[in-house]
Amino acid sequence: MNSSNSILRTQRMGPLLVLWLAGCLSGTWAVDRGNFKTCDQSAFCKRQRALKPGQSPYRALLETLELTNTKLTLQLINDNNKVRLLLELYRLQGNMTRVKINELKPLKPRFEVPDVLINDPPTEPLSLLSRDENGVVLSLGADSQRLIVSAKPFRLDIMEGREVLLSLNSRGLLAFEHLRIRKDTLLCNYFHLSPLLFLPSLKAKEDEKVEDGMWEETFKSHTDSKPNGPSSISLDFSLPGVENVYGIPEHADSLKLKATDGGDPYRLFNLDVFQYEVFNPMALYGAIPVMLSHSAQRTMGIFWLNAAETWVDISSNTAGKTVFGQMLDYVQGSSETPQTDVRWISESGIIDVFIMLGPTPTDVFSQYASLTGTQAFPPLSALAYHQCRWNYNDQEDVAAVDQGFDDHDIPYDFIWLDIEHTDGKRYFTWDPHKFPQPKDMLQGLLDKRRKMVTIVDPHIKVDSSYKIHNEIRSKGFYVKSKDGGDYEGWCWPGNSGYPDFTNPEMRAWWASMFAYDQYEGSMENMYTWNDMNEPSVFNGPEVTMHKDALHGNWENRDLHNLYGLYVQRATAEGLIERSGGVERPFVLARAFFAGSQRYGAVWTGDNAAEWEHLKISIPMCLSLGLVGVSFCGADVGGFFKSPSTELLVRWYQTGAYQPFFRAHAHLDTPRREPWLFGPENTALIREAVRQRYALLPYWYQLFYHAHHSGQPVMRPLWVEYPQDTATFSMDDQFLLGRDLLVHPVTEEGARGVTAYLPGKGEVWFDVHTFQKHNGAQNLYIPVTISSIPVFQRGGSIISRKARVRRSSSCMEHDPYTLFVALSPKRFAQGELYIDDGHTFNFDKQKQFIHRRFSFANNALSSRNLAPGSQFTTFSWVEKIVILGASKPSKATLKTPDGKESQLEFEFDASMSVLTLRKPGVNAGLDWTVVLQ
Amino acid sequence: MFTNCSLGHCHIIVAVVLWSICVDSRKIRGISLSYKRFYRERKSFLCIDGSKMIPFDQVNDDYCDCMDGSDEPGTAACPTGRFYCTNLGYRSHYIPSSRVNDGICDCCDASDEYRSQTPCQNTCRNLGQRERAEVEGQTRVLGERLRLKQLLIEEGVLTWREKQAQLRDLQRVSDDLQTQLDDLRKEEARRKEEADALREREIGARETADNSPTSHYRPESPISVFKELDSNRDGSITVDEVQAKLSPVQDEEHALSEDEAVALLGGAHRVDLSRFEETLWTSLRTGDSVTIKGRRGVPGSLADEDPNIKAAVSAAEKASADLKRVEDAYETVYMEIRDLREKLSIDYGSEREFLFLHDQCFQLKVYEYIYELCPFSQVTQKSASGEVVSLGKWGSWAGPPENPYCQMRYESGEPCWQGPTRNTMVMLICGTETALRSVKEPSKCQYVMELQTPVSCQPALRQRGVHSEL
Repeated sequence: MNSSNSILRTQRMGPLLVLWLAGCLSGTWAVDRGNFKTCDQSAFCKRQRALKPGQSPYRALLETLELTNTKLTLQLINDNNKVRLLLELYRLQGNMTRVKINELKPLKPRFEVPDVLINDPPTEPLSLLSRDENGVVLSLGADSQRLIVSAKPFRLDIMEGREVLLSLNSRGLLAFEHLRIRKDTLLCNYFHLSPLLFLPSLKAKEDEKVEDGMWEETFKSHTDSKPNGPSSISLDFSLPGVENVYGIPEHADSLKLKATDGGDPYRLFNLDVFQYEVFNPMALYGAIPVMLSHSAQRTMGIFWLNAAETWVDISSNTAGKTVFGQMLDYVQGSSETPQTDVRWISESGIIDVFIMLGPTPTDVFSQYASLTGTQAFPPLSALAYHQCRWNYNDQEDVAAVDQGFDDHDIPYDFIWLDIEHTDGKRYFTWDPHKFPQPKDMLQGLLDKRRKMVTIVDPHIKVDSSYKIHNEIRSKGFYVKSKDGGDYEGWCWPGNSGYPDFTNPEMRAWWASMFAYDQYEGSMENMYTWNDMNEPSVFNGPEVTMHKDALHGNWENRDLHNLYGLYVQRATAEGLIERSGGVERPFVLARAFFAGSQRYGAVWTGDNAAEWEHLKISIPMCLSLGLVGVSFCGADVGGFFKSPSTELLVRWYQTGAYQPFFRAHAHLDTPRREPWLFGPENTALIREAVRQRYALLPYWYQLFYHAHHSGQPVMRPLWVEYPQDTATFSMDDQFLLGRDLLVHPVTEEGARGVTAYLPGKGEVWFDVHTFQKHNGAQNLYIPVTISSIPVFQRGGSIISRKARVRRSSSCMEHDPYTLFVALSPKRFAQGELYIDDGHTFNFDKQKQFIHRRFSFANNALSSRNLAPGSQFTTFSWVEKIVILGASKPSKATLKTPDGKESQLEFEFDASMSVLTLRKPGVNAGLDWTVVLQ
Repeated sequence: MFTNCSLGHCHIIVAVVLWSICVDSRKIRGISLSYKRFYRERKSFLCIDGSKMIPFDQVNDDYCDCMDGSDEPGTAACPTGRFYCTNLGYRSHYIPSSRVNDGICDCCDASDEYRSQTPCQNTCRNLGQRERAEVEGQTRVLGERLRLKQLLIEEGVLTWREKQAQLRDLQRVSDDLQTQLDDLRKEEARRKEEADALREREIGARETADNSPTSHYRPESPISVFKELDSNRDGSITVDEVQAKLSPVQDEEHALSEDEAVALLGGAHRVDLSRFEETLWTSLRTGDSVTIKGRRGVPGSLADEDPNIKAAVSAAEKASADLKRVEDAYETVYMEIRDLREKLSIDYGSEREFLFLHDQCFQLKVYEYIYELCPFSQVTQKSASGEVVSLGKWGSWAGPPENPYCQMRYESGEPCWQGPTRNTMVMLICGTETALRSVKEPSKCQYVMELQTPVSCQPALRQRGVHSEL
């Protein structure tokens, strides 16, 4: 129990932190932009952005071309400074092209991102179609796709038929800052080294002036020593025919990315941004350098595999034009083809780009999944509701909150403990007064079939009486400062060290700390939360690690955005290992990178209790879903500040239909457990949470698909309706899978919302009233405070569990209700996935049930989609609700043993809803219901 | 979360327990005896809300037919249903249907988990015994507590009377002082006028004599006095010279001893001008110990020599001092009256039963903090380093309308960093001793304390009926 004054005095925050916080907090709630760099304040971005489109100085040296079975290599030369680059082109299986560009002979190796690709991507042979002095034409196999390498100036074009799909360096913005010797050390060192090796750089010296920030850069009070000098890279991509680009999370911005002309580029640099603002391109906690382009004709993706600070500029020849202007162009026939130009700039490393050629959204998801893997399949309970707060004070508090849920009959699965549960912010420990008997507490939760998450952050208190610190120090596992000592910075515990998670030995050791005998007080129903893994360094530049800090041989500069991924990975591996490889882990992290989806869930960080933040949670999670991270959520209620009751209710209603569903609140906010706002609001929140629990079978099935094939759980409408231009910039509503359309109410005082129901000739059913609506229309829906507009697609079958209990585990053996929504052609299809809900047996021993339900010709049947699998469930089919049905004379259930029985049914003629009573068949078996 | 508080600490809630179980209700699981009539075995069953008629074999068949859930009292099928735990030997109660066969033992008779793999024990007998023992214990101590309460109420009544009497006394004293004050103010004004008049006259006289070389009003500088005392003009003043020229103020005829002279020179036998200024000159200026022989008063700020003026001034000063003294006394009494009135204006409960808490403070150490509650005054938190933070000043009673005296609100404590001011809710609970029982901080800077006291105990009549058919 702290007075907040004492918080500022105690060891929890050092004086520097106090200053930092005071700076951040003075007066306003908004982000202090001054703490974070603009492109102009980031020397390499400024240098690169100063370069304008024009003739590229790069030329392909065709005589150096080599074509092997797997790749084409070719040297490029910069005619200004004669530095040579090596281009490698790969045709990858699954309709992808990989373009790698590095210095031909760098002074020292440049960083290439490890551990993100799940394997060395399998290649397919490239064949040379033609070759002359201007370039070469290569075949990319199917669909008359060709790759054209132009020599002078160097550019690449990928064509299909006569259409250019994408061009690289067409605007001449390829720029590769070669490594060079520092001038002030040149005289003394140069002649001791091989003159040949450095000839190009010596020559270059004459052409290139040394600019500010090349060898040292100061931001606020922090100086970046830059021992390797300038090393940035840049490349432009042109996308003819494309008006919509998406992805490159994490930004608090609209789903459809905006043109960045006249403003800052989108920034990818993992940062702990205090009180971030919505609708701007500033960097946030995570970075996934993947962009999707979409037009009615084609969807493609660009994966820029680079973990350094990255900026992405977007410009478009249609951006800024009014609809009228575009129409005028069209009428006058003067319109140029719409085109989007994208430019990537990174501070170091190499150019390594994967071009995913689609052509459908689904294809792009599969292509990206084949490179970086799919979403970890979470334990079923992790898809249920999570109750979090900074902080639940002690064991008694935990017990009281747990009981509160039962007293108010609201289900929940996880209760979370933030940093105050530890002994002085020493992770893996417990506060001896507040949590003297953690196992008793966990057993209490286990008795109710519930679980807990404790926080384990990657900053480690520098304290010689702390075992974790001593071991990391003695093993040399800490990140080092540029001077070679252990890097130290301020974070929650005060002075902290940062383990080098890029080191596999460090990760293995870290993982071993989660063993039940290492993490004292832990039990099998306790999982983990990695916060602050950008990493957050309160007194570091931009509240993160110094770029010249060292991870082995590499600077933080080279791999900054990768740190958070490694933290989550090591933790997830620890949770797997502690169970002997049996149990699926659940780890939530704030920072992430491409590939993080393999290790758990992420959330959108420290948002605020404001309507804008509720709204932005939709595009933020949609953007993440497009680039592989399906398990995404925002703090329900908003982290900073205190929500109005209406906002809190609306946030529960929205969060109940987003993948990661967790309420969280800042230490300084008043309590906001669901029952503290009067019985009416308790009932509203209860109803939202219950809807989530009833729908868990569908969520689980969607996550199985995300895990299996990389398809996002939460999808923008255009993913399923790629030709419907009306959907391209929609981000106030979304699809769950294909079959549920959700348009949450995110406006204060709303009396109605206008939802767009896509699909000409399709129908949608309101899941609450069963009212049928036609597709391809804007539907005005009057709403009250209890409304959560959700629609089921006609043609789909969704399974629910109608018996909502205290936790998802309690519902394990419960029966299913099938909601069959008929298409206008009286057809429907759906799936059901069942396994034990928490182990890897589904994967290792094929212990699962995967059924396909089909309704056609007035018969609904269930058949096995995975004949090789085996699993037994107690669950059965309790009810079948057919929407858009007509009244049958009888309903006959047929089972494979030849038995037939008549089902009782009810028919609601006003809504055309047919309810079949108690088929009673086991959910894992084949059966058919015939309507006559 | 603070709106409901139990009446007293002793929850003696032993509800009706069915003792005649020979009635055949085994077939219909999950209903109480009083509902038995709805479930008489017939061909069909009418949902209790009358909405629907179903075949009787669909009662408890694990499928929800009735909107009100009444067809499935013994299964988890209906979302709105409830299951009756008979709990023979303990208290019977309802649980939501969703807790039937969910793998968690809810009814102490284990009746809710008839089809789950969780082995539940019948613990009703133990629970019942424990509760009865508790109830008995509580009943025993309740008498004692109520007796204590009565004593405290009486104490409160006495205190109340005492305070009222005190207030009356103070009022009288105050009135007296008021009269005195009036007189003294007049007296003081008169004296002051007199003295001023005399002084003015004297100043007028002196102004005419201003050119006289012996004028007392010639401002004297340390140099001139130094020169006057330095008989041999050697630029220093010696002990001899001091003894020759100076005498004590009270007795001009008396000569100064050598030691006295040395002391006046700051411990030296000889001083120069600057040293003189620091030592002897200072003594001469104050004029209360020594003076130059043949002279009166203080050099540099000579006092009125006229004995008339002197007398008038001192009379005026005395009148002023007298007035000040009485004013102070009046102020003190006034404050006391105000405090007392304030104290007496507080709501101490319907029988002033909480009056005894006034002027008392209660402490509790929680982790590294010491919390102190001074009822009707304030709440503080003292950290290990000794710093005291206010967690709120007395605000008001804050219990629900039917029982306002079960919670106290203390507000406007020290502001929180970046937030509102600290406040504390004190929950009053029944207990033998009056003491602080717990302190919590459920939200930042929002404290909740439990103060136990016999005064919060209520007679058993207020609790639900107790049956002893156990």
